[in-house]
Amino acid sequence: MPEVPAIDPSVLRPHAEQLHAGELAGLAAADTRPRPPRWRLSPWAVVTYLLGGTLADGTVISPKYVGNRRLIEVAVATLATDRALLLLGVPGTAKTWLSEHLAAAISGDSTLVVQGTAGTAEEALRYGWNYARLLAEGPSMAALVESPVLRAMRLGTIVRVEELTRLPSDVQDALVTVLSEKTLPVPELTTEVQARQGFNLIATANDRDRGVNELSSALRRRFNTVVLPLPATAEEEVAIVTRRVGELAASLSLPPLPAAVDEIRRVVTVFRELRSGATEDGRVKLKTPTSTLSTAEAISVITSGIALAAHFGDGRLGPVDVAAGIVGAVVKDPAHDNVVWREYLEVVARERAGWGEFYEACRAAAG
Amino acid sequence: MAAIHLLGIRHHGPGSARAVERALAAIEPDVVVVELPAEAESLVRYLADAALAPPVAMLGYVADEPARAVFYPLAAFSPEWVALRWASERGVAVRAFDLGLAQSLVWQDAADEPGTGRRHRRRAERDPLGELARAAGYDDAERWWEDVVEHRSESDGAGDALAPFAAVAEAMGAVRADAPAPVGEEAAREATMRQVLRTVAKTAERIAVVCGAWHVPALQEPWPKATVDAAVLRGLPKAKVAVTWVPWTHRRLGTASGYAAGVRSPGWYAHVFAHPGDEGVTRWFADAAALLRSRDHAVSPDHLIGAVRLARTVAALRDRPVPGLDEVMDAAHAVLADGRPGPLALIRDELVVGDALGSVPDDVPMVPLARDLTAQRKRVRLKPDAVSKVVELDLRTDAGRNRSHLLHRLQALGVRWGVPEEGRGSSGTFRETWRLQWEPELSIRLVEASALGTTVEQAASVALTEQAAVTTALADLTALLESALLADLPTVVAPLVERLAEHAAVDPDVEHLMDALVPLARALRYGDVRATDTSALADVIDGMVARLVAGLTGACASLDDEAAAAMADRLTAVQGALALVDHTARRRAWPEVLAVIAARDLGPGLVAGRAVRLVHDIGWWDADAVERRFARALSVGTPADAGAAFVEGFLAGSGTVLLHDAGLLALLDGWMATLPEATFTDVVPLLRRTFGAFASAERRQIGQLVAGRDASAAAATGWDLDPGRAAAALATVLALLGSNAPEGVPTWKG
Repeated sequence: MPEVPAIDPSVLRPHAEQLHAGELAGLAAADTRPRPPRWRLSPWAVVTYLLGGTLADGTVISPKYVGNRRLIEVAVATLATDRALLLLGVPGTAKTWLSEHLAAAISGDSTLVVQGTAGTAEEALRYGWNYARLLAEGPSMAALVESPVLRAMRLGTIVRVEELTRLPSDVQDALVTVLSEKTLPVPELTTEVQARQGFNLIATANDRDRGVNELSSALRRRFNTVVLPLPATAEEEVAIVTRRVGELAASLSLPPLPAAVDEIRRVVTVFRELRSGATEDGRVKLKTPTSTLSTAEAISVITSGIALAAHFGDGRLGPVDVAAGIVGAVVKDPAHDNVVWREYLEVVARERAGWGEFYEACRAAAG
Repeated sequence: MAAIHLLGIRHHGPGSARAVERALAAIEPDVVVVELPAEAESLVRYLADAALAPPVAMLGYVADEPARAVFYPLAAFSPEWVALRWASERGVAVRAFDLGLAQSLVWQDAADEPGTGRRHRRRAERDPLGELARAAGYDDAERWWEDVVEHRSESDGAGDALAPFAAVAEAMGAVRADAPAPVGEEAAREATMRQVLRTVAKTAERIAVVCGAWHVPALQEPWPKATVDAAVLRGLPKAKVAVTWVPWTHRRLGTASGYAAGVRSPGWYAHVFAHPGDEGVTRWFADAAALLRSRDHAVSPDHLIGAVRLARTVAALRDRPVPGLDEVMDAAHAVLADGRPGPLALIRDELVVGDALGSVPDDVPMVPLARDLTAQRKRVRLKPDAVSKVVELDLRTDAGRNRSHLLHRLQALGVRWGVPEEGRGSSGTFRETWRLQWEPELSIRLVEASALGTTVEQAASVALTEQAAVTTALADLTALLESALLADLPTVVAPLVERLAEHAAVDPDVEHLMDALVPLARALRYGDVRATDTSALADVIDGMVARLVAGLTGACASLDDEAAAAMADRLTAVQGALALVDHTARRRAWPEVLAVIAARDLGPGLVAGRAVRLVHDIGWWDADAVERRFARALSVGTPADAGAAFVEGFLAGSGTVLLHDAGLLALLDGWMATLPEATFTDVVPLLRRTFGAFASAERRQIGQLVAGRDASAAAATGWDLDPGRAAAALATVLALLGSNAPEGVPTWKG
């Protein structure tokens, strides 16, 4: 077992493998099942690390991910095959969180990561050059600056690519050779770096976002896809929103507001109902808007509502404060979403007890 | 004493079926006893006919009351079917040892299935192996059988064909040790089983018994005394029953179709039965890939390799020796379907459930559905005739109504004995015209439809319910609802209305809503709908009206000429439908949205014109407002052709309004008089089309008014009638004509 450096207490956010070093060590000790080459744990132990449990020696493994066991099993099994893993989901479905913990459990290192942005260049996936050295000594392996991907190939570990679909298409396609041939040619040195056993790649992507670069079919074919679902119950989602809103309000120095939980519940209800295309009691079917209506957006609707109430309102988060935000979140495509939203107001909101003020506020906000 | 081998099985379990096949080969019995009612023995001879291909069902019914019936579905992977086929191929005698239908069909009185009135249960079906599997943490009993029963027996004794059944008997012995002794029908069934075994054992040497695992402990020796069993069976009621084979489908085997002992994944079971072992998984993914490719999803061989590997790895992670349905579906989702739900649903529907359809030989006994049809035909006195003839039905008489119901029910079943025709002369709602012709193919359709039910009414209800389940278009659903009402199938109405409500909610097309609203309003107003369904139907209409009002302004923008004409007609139709059911939207929401469309200068003139006309007709806009809007449409700022379209939309095929409103006529007249010559030439064809549609009397009167000859014809608007005063006038007119007013005050539509 390689030693894990002690956590520096001034670090804002330690890595998963540092934070849970004890659990990982306990699992590795108790794990008798076969491990794929260069895996720190067996697939079974990785699943246990993610979903939690109690080991024979009494070590308690905290659950890292609360959700469908089958998804996690498919994700871990995928990494044990020669295909890469693509985690899909709307914002706020713990894609990055899951990929970090997978890398920590399998390779003991979650730091090999490429953040995908529109400006990410091919060097971030392949390699760059140390130009001082290149000029002084000429091309050599020593002058080569390896990317996290190249490093993971050489070491036989897991590498993560965040927001894969934000990368420009030509940059994305640099991964095709890596994933299919498991090699990265370095033509300047007429050599190549061949991936060692244990190398694999976890990519995350947002499947309902606008302005993204769809994966080419050649690249898509190299991935197994696991779609991470939104929170299963309204209670779970209300809890997530409440917690995150509290954190955000604190960092924005907004005053705490009373009765906010009623509005949070209402916003979450609206989002969930429109997202699923049916009311929570299942009695009325609804059209779904083009907008994502992710948990993250619910959080921003509430946060801006709190800002409105605190700075311009009566200091109490009310229906009027969230109405404008919620209309903006739902109606993204004016032609289609407007109809959806008006139908929702007329068919659902108007009839619901205690929603009168909200209904009127939304009618006023829609103009 | 004969050797009795008890093969306890799970109904429709492919694992059990394979084990039975191996066990039969090892035992080589001279009699095969299966858990089917005694009457089934008369059907065994058809197994020799290759035309009897599973999935099929044995259908038993009370001869003079076919609605009382039971289906015994058998698939290729059903252990009973495997046993029957094995015996038939080798000429081995088959005995059916369950309680006879003659008793059980009378017994089942108390437990009729509600709803469609369809009874195809396998009695109080138990799945004790399923319960054991669930207790062991398996959600699929077949997995449990594979993992526990089969693998245990393999490790026990190198492929001893009987070992699985020993294990099952042991497990069931433990389960039943704590269960109360059977009573009632179950006691009678097990007593019958033992009685038959006693008889068989007198002559046979090696007996193989294929029965539900639950019964095994009751059939293990020592048995109770024969006289005890005989006492249980004494004095049971008895009915005259008939049995036959009918074609069945995998979909109907599925639990989703309401069959209580159904299996969730008949297609998957058929696959693992046909292709046991590891190679079956690869083959299954190949089938899935072929299916997805046929629906334009790209699937490469690379995907197949990835899927097979993932399925195996997940199985290993879950400590399962081979991938099962869970693993292949997880792998199909992650690899073949790229995580999308659509392709996965396709695979689930076509491969996991599947559409396999069985067939039966031509010479099997007549199905009860055909018998019921004969009885119904006699009742309504309609003879099947190969020569086509036309009948007119008067729906005001019982005889006419009954005939109409029967013909509409057959329509629903796809047995097109009668084809509705345009009625001659009268277009009233109380008359129907049908062309009747009985073609021999219709008898085949009846056999196919026999899986739906045993009477025409039942089968037609089920047929409509099943069609409704796969129909998504609003117009088709409304058509189904209309057929259900016409065919007098009240049980279907409620589910149809519910489905309509669902689809009305998600249909993005306002036009569809408008089209569906009209027949629904008609059904609500005139249809023979039960009170409970009436309120449900009214709720659907309320929902549809709210939605179409919300989306109407958008739907009336950017339409081409043809679409605008259709939309104008729809507006009129919806207004009529709202009036028909006197909907509350008539008083505010509807005129409000019409007024928005009417006031808009953009968009098609035809639609705006019609909207103005409609708000004018219901008095939402007064004459002044209408004239102002009319003037704006006909002013220089509006292109002349748009103005002409507005006029066409406003007049809606009749010039009466111009006769009564001198102001409008003057506006129109003035507009035409001031058109420049070139523009005038352009709009003449449009105006000609508009005015050409009027009755000639109207045209003449308008001409006279324009010529100023008969100013007195320009009366006040005539739409604002007072029903009370009009009724008095009508009564006088009727008295003058010498006819009595029919009940109460005559009505008219405003």
